[in-house]
Amino acid sequence: MAEFDQPPLSQPEPQPTGFARGLSGAAVLAALALAAAAAPLMADGSALHRLDADPVAAALLDGRGSLSFALLAAVLGGALGIGWALLAGLAGTLVGKGAERRIVIAAQRMAGWPLALLVPLAGGLLGQVWLLALVTALTAAPAVAALAHAELSVLMRAEFLTAARAAALPEREVLRRHLIPNLMRPLLAAGTLALPRVLAAESFASLLGLGLPPTLGSWGASVGLAARLGDPVAFAPPALLLALALWAACAIADGVAAGVRKP
Amino acid sequence: MNHIAAKPAPVETEALTLMLGDRVLLDRASLRVERGQVLAVTGGAGSGKTALLGALAGRPPAGVDVAGGVRIDGHLLIAQGGRLAPRRPLALQVAEVVGHHLGLDLRGALRRMADGLDRMGVPPAARRFDLPPEQLPDSLRWACLFAMAAAVGPAVLLVDAPAAGLDPTVRLRLLHRLADWARADGVALILAGRPEDGVAGPADHVLALRRGRLLPPIPLRAGPLEPLEPPGTARLHARGVGMSYPLAPGPRGEARSLAVLHGIDLDLRTGETLVLLGETGSAKATLARSLLCLPPPTAGTVVWMGRDLMAAATPPAAGEEPNHGGLRRARRDLQPLFPDPAASFDPAMTVGTQLALVLENLRPDIAADRRDHRIDEALEEAGLRPEAALRWPAALTAAEAAHAGLARAILSEPRVLVADEPAAGLSAEERERFLDTLMAVRDRRRLSLILATERYGEGLRDAHRGIVMLAGRVVESADAGTLRTAPLHPYSRAMLAASLGGRPALEGDAPSAFGQPAGCPLRRRCPLAREFCAQAVPELEEVASGHHVACHYWDTPAEE
Repeated sequence: MAEFDQPPLSQPEPQPTGFARGLSGAAVLAALALAAAAAPLMADGSALHRLDADPVAAALLDGRGSLSFALLAAVLGGALGIGWALLAGLAGTLVGKGAERRIVIAAQRMAGWPLALLVPLAGGLLGQVWLLALVTALTAAPAVAALAHAELSVLMRAEFLTAARAAALPEREVLRRHLIPNLMRPLLAAGTLALPRVLAAESFASLLGLGLPPTLGSWGASVGLAARLGDPVAFAPPALLLALALWAACAIADGVAAGVRKP
Repeated sequence: MNHIAAKPAPVETEALTLMLGDRVLLDRASLRVERGQVLAVTGGAGSGKTALLGALAGRPPAGVDVAGGVRIDGHLLIAQGGRLAPRRPLALQVAEVVGHHLGLDLRGALRRMADGLDRMGVPPAARRFDLPPEQLPDSLRWACLFAMAAAVGPAVLLVDAPAAGLDPTVRLRLLHRLADWARADGVALILAGRPEDGVAGPADHVLALRRGRLLPPIPLRAGPLEPLEPPGTARLHARGVGMSYPLAPGPRGEARSLAVLHGIDLDLRTGETLVLLGETGSAKATLARSLLCLPPPTAGTVVWMGRDLMAAATPPAAGEEPNHGGLRRARRDLQPLFPDPAASFDPAMTVGTQLALVLENLRPDIAADRRDHRIDEALEEAGLRPEAALRWPAALTAAEAAHAGLARAILSEPRVLVADEPAAGLSAEERERFLDTLMAVRDRRRLSLILATERYGEGLRDAHRGIVMLAGRVVESADAGTLRTAPLHPYSRAMLAASLGGRPALEGDAPSAFGQPAGCPLRRRCPLAREFCAQAVPELEEVASGHHVACHYWDTPAEE
């Protein structure tokens, strides 16, 4: 029986640093969401009017609009991006490598365009929230698709798939037993990239007054309004909460990506 | 006072002790290296070679405590991998070091560098050092670093893992050049590296760093563990196996492809061990995979026990029933060993689950409740404890992963193992242990074995027959004894020389797959090359019974 003495000189790999950040980001975002959900309770049970409420409660109320819209658009954008990458992979298997390359290059090019400018345009022209969510999702999708496809193509070349084929596993089983379980986390990591992007795009549009309708409330809209009125007390809470939420969303995306990366 | 006292040696240590935490890396070593002497220090991964060089240079790595006395003259340390900035032009980086040591300006430093490059045998046409290191081949980077040392001219040169990762023939050529320079200029040269890196070849003295001591190295096993049994009849036949990869279409839309394997014929008999020898770009790994049809080759046929493997492995046309039975039967008999065993395990499943999956798929005749027992047996035979089945692939060391890969390969009770550099990532002792296990398994099960490797001596040691490959072609094939003692092709001779630590008679680097010269692929490096070599690719001809050579001038001495 073999023994393996002689431990290597190098120290074991430390926990990826992104992990702790991701965890704290998730905690901060959860706390923000809870606080925003509990904000109406701060108004003694009666209906709360945003303009005469105290600035912190008003900012938390705005968070309901911002966060729920961001969540909706991020889920849509993540799904669109992942679908885009999977479509490219499928085209590569069924049609040819050329088709796959064209689809991915389109995503990579579009990820470099200033697509966030489409959001205020859509906010001004369309007016409906679900259409705005769709457009916001589309602005985040190319970046997600490029990342997801990179992960997908790394996995498709993995040696353990060859090992599975050497064990005469049919392609269907290779897909079910090896490909899908190993694909879940990288794709999820690519999908979470959409969250900070859509939150930033929506806040930018609302700041210009071309984002979410005023009835929903949004941090960006409140910041813009306070800046126009020159009211520092009304300006600070939504601006700080928005910055915090953006940091948390970025930290989550980083953390999930760091968890996927192999040492 | 004695005025003609002998000068002290440039490197002397007195009871040098190195500690990493509470682990002793080096225990009271006394070392003395004279001028013009070449010392090689070998040792496995983590044995403390880098720490020793760092301590000699006065800069031990963080966390290493040094005790004892070190006396060293003006020295230069070339660190592992050369430590070059990837994006700055190489000439600038090197000239800065030379200029710093000699107090020269850039122009003067570059002129000194040119002299150094001459001494390292880099032809002026190959000096593309205005490129950043990441765009240069490794061999040129190392030649440039060695030339830097020659330009600086220190009293002591310390080199950590020199030319590691290069092909053996290229590595030994560079190391011999460096050693020649050190001897001629009276420089004390210390080379540290793993035993398999060939640093021992050009050295005057070799010390192995083992369990905290500097000891003479243990010679490696030269012959087979047990006498080899004569092989039986041929079962695996490959005829005209070729592989080409599609490239992007040309300017007029014509399809283009890159052929990496050119019509290989091969027969493997039962119980025979056939070793495929070749360096980077020889397509030995491609051939190994083509024999397994993973993926199937683009030309030729592979027949296992009368059944055409390629027909079974190609996906059936629409409407046809896939021939799973035939392929499964062949897969059960032919099992691969992968060059990176850790990557050949799915990180999302334990080792045992994956082995069970293999067994379920390839041996449906074994009842489900007997599978665990079979897996335990295979793991023990491969040199692991049965508990290894419960571990995740990420928790295995490289050596354990290699043994687990062997366990997976023998699980289905195959008849042939096709191993592509199965111990590539392992070092010295681990490597020997793994190869011994592999050979013991082979002998016990009477397996046929195809072993692809770049280590000439080690590969032929346990083999019946060898095939030397170069740029996708067979250049020499003979029984192992002939190849070990008297190969005829210049490339085989160079590989033999490199494996013995000698000076290979080949110049320059192997050409890239995209820039193969016309005619013989070796002609730009070959000492026997003449004009005719550019005109025709040499065919394999039989020069003795069972001995084939593909060279126009194998029987002609080199031209002066």
